[in-house]
Formats: sequence, structure tokens, C-alpha cells
Amino acid sequence: MGDQINLKILLESQGLERSPFPIPTGWFFVDYSDALKAGELRNVTLFGQEWVLFRTESGKPGMSDPYCPHLGAHMGHGGTVCGEHIRCPFHHWEYDTAGWCKNIPYGKVTPPIVKKQAILRTLPMVEKYGMMWAWYHPLCAEPTWELPYIPEMEDPTGYTGSRRGSWTADTCIQEIAENGVDTAHLKFLHGAPMIPPVEATYDGPRMKLDIGKGYIVGDVYGPGLNVMRFNQHGITATMISYTQPISAEKSRMNMSFRHVDYPAGTPELAASKKVIDHMIGAAEGEESAGFESVDFIVWNNKKYRPNPLLCDGDGPVLQFRKWFRQFYTNLDAATLAKI
Amino acid sequence: MTVVRVKDRAGAERDVEATNGVPLMETLRDAGFGIDGTCGGAMSCGTCHVYIDAAWAPRLPARSADEAAMLEALADFVELRPSSRLSCQIPVDDTLDGLAVEIAPQV
Repeated sequence: MGDQINLKILLESQGLERSPFPIPTGWFFVDYSDALKAGELRNVTLFGQEWVLFRTESGKPGMSDPYCPHLGAHMGHGGTVCGEHIRCPFHHWEYDTAGWCKNIPYGKVTPPIVKKQAILRTLPMVEKYGMMWAWYHPLCAEPTWELPYIPEMEDPTGYTGSRRGSWTADTCIQEIAENGVDTAHLKFLHGAPMIPPVEATYDGPRMKLDIGKGYIVGDVYGPGLNVMRFNQHGITATMISYTQPISAEKSRMNMSFRHVDYPAGTPELAASKKVIDHMIGAAEGEESAGFESVDFIVWNNKKYRPNPLLCDGDGPVLQFRKWFRQFYTNLDAATLAKI
Repeated sequence: MTVVRVKDRAGAERDVEATNGVPLMETLRDAGFGIDGTCGGAMSCGTCHVYIDAAWAPRLPARSADEAAMLEALADFVELRPSSRLSCQIPVDDTLDGLAVEIAPQV
């Protein structure tokens, strides 16, 4: 008889999970700045839990754990913005955007911890690109890097494009992002005419991607922001992608599409719009398909293989995974074995 | 049996039997000395403040930083003495038999 068969490879999928990863650390899009007025407060679900998103009277955004440190009332149900603070409906304890308790309207003696540290978990926030961003770290550590300057989003003139969209995927951010280095799937899933060469370089929380020798040049900033520049037909069009981890197994992909503000009727403007159509879905005269038409069926059903069977011609998947691991903190041995 | 001599806020003294294995605060609270013990031993309310008899004070376990911070927060409202303690931080056992304490004023 022949050699013993390798049962491990035949049976391994039984123990695999679809998204074995915790929520990664980094800056994440929360909402568009114009969607939250001064004095407004509402509940949002992100990073696997509910948060209370609010904007103070002076315009500062805040995002807090919902449950008052005093007696646990949910501040997103009946709480209010009170000047620069969020106020709990239950006993009117007030907190600033950094989570410090600023008012206990009846206690004479302030509990020492109230003077010593923030007692309400809040997330560091910045407003940039016309959006609110929050820094997520599972153990409340401060941000270790800053969001970049993006001319397409921040220069007052020279760029245009109001097109944007949101898509929900039933998987985690790492699985979505891995497609950026999985070049072979561009040919077989998307129908590109060839497998494009890819170069990925890593620098701390940043990754630079060059797909097809300058055809797509990507700047990745942690798990929550990608800026992909598509150079085609003599123009550059930009996809700014800012995916949110709704939970460990659900992600909302958000994208803004921007291009140079060419005059109406020019071939450059037409080319810019066509490149953007192509990024998203099917575009006339193009052989390959954008992510909307083909990637979701894979993301929404696959399992994650920590020990994939890769062959020559596959992209730098393992290097990408090693880089991405920096965004997970305090992993226990059981989780490490799964990722 | 652990008997503790307690001077109340009016200056009257009486002996109470303290329960071993629980914080002194609970005995004082349940014996009607006007000790609230509102926070249950979390050192955030300061309502179980007592003055320990000077001879006994060094024999108790030292204050933690959190206890010291709570006592300090009381200083704006009531007299603090070197022997000031939160009675919730004093576990009762046989070695405390004969301990003498005075209930500090309310804030």
C-alpha cells in the first residue's frame, strides 16, 4: 500500500474560524463631520460594542463607553450634551470628551480617583478629511502615530469628486486587506488579463503597495485607512478607503473617490470618471471587475487559514500577515495559534 | 471574641463586639454609630472615617495609597489626625481585641 495520507490537510477546515482576530488597534473612521451637529448625541456600534457619540456645544467630538461609571446608566438613552460635557440622565454626573468626571452635582467630597484619572472610557478623536476619526486600543493606550495629509481630501482646490459609498462585509479587516497583496486573485477572481507584479514595503504601521509597476500605488496607514492611486489613461484617480470594524466579524467598508478637477467635457475628466467606475464594479470596455462585483462572495463565506497552502506565483501574503500582527495587542496563546 | 471600645460623636464611650473576618466599618455601621459606609469599602466616599487610639494606631496595617488619598480629600471638611483611618480598611481579628476608636465627624 502507499504512504499514510496527510489527514491534517484534509480535516483542518473543521477547526478553522472565519474571523479569529480581535479588533485591531488604529485610527478608524467614525462618521462624516457634517453628520453630527453641536449638542447632538447618539449611539453607534463599532469595535464590537456600543458607544455614545456626541459633539460639545463648542464643536468638539467625543465618543464614550455608554455606561456611567457611577451606577451604570446608559448615557446614550436619555443623556445629554451639557456645554463641553456629556451628562448622565440618572444623577447628572458629567464627563468631558477625555472621560474626566467634571461634575457630581450633590457629593461634597470628590472621590479621589475622580481627580486622579479619567473614569469614563473615551476614545481619542480627531477631525480630518471632513470626517471624525477615533483611535481604538483594547487597553486604552494613547495613539502612537498620526493620520496623514491627503491632498485629494484636504487641498482646498485642485481636486473634486463627491462620489462615495459604503459596503458591509461579513469578515474582519485583515481578511479584506489581504486581497491587496493577493495578486493572483486579480486575474482569476477579477478577470485581469494577467497576474500583475506587486511590491509591498513595510514601515511601522505603514505599508506601501505598488501593483502592476505603478498601475495602482497604495499607501496604507494601519488597519483603518488606505489611499490607492490608480494611474491609467494618462490620469490619476484616487480611492480613499476607510473601513470600520463593526465587530470582530463584520466590517463596513467606506470609500471616497476623488480626482483632479478637470474642466467639463475634457477627455481627462471622462477618463477619471471611468477609472473610478472601474474601481468599484464593471466598467465598459474593461476586462476586469472592481471589488463590488466579485470580492464579497469570497469574503462573506471563506474561513481563515493560518497555515495556507501557497504556491509560486502567489503574492506576499505571509509578509502582509506578519506586518498586520502589530495591530493586535496582548494576544493569548490560543488566539496566536489561530492567526 | 473581639471587643472594641468606641467613642461616638457625642463623646460617649461603649464597648461593641466586632465580627472577626469583616471590616470594622460594618460593625460600626450596624451598631448605629452613624457610619454610612456608602461605597462598601471602595475608598470613594469617606463616610467611615475614624480616629484610632494613638497607642493602637501603629499596630494596624498601614494605609494604602488609595486610603490616604480618600482621607486627604476629607481634609477640607473635617479634622484629620495622624491616626485617621477609613474603618472599611481595618479587617477585624482577635489581635484587635481592646482596640479603641473614635467616630470622626460627618462631612
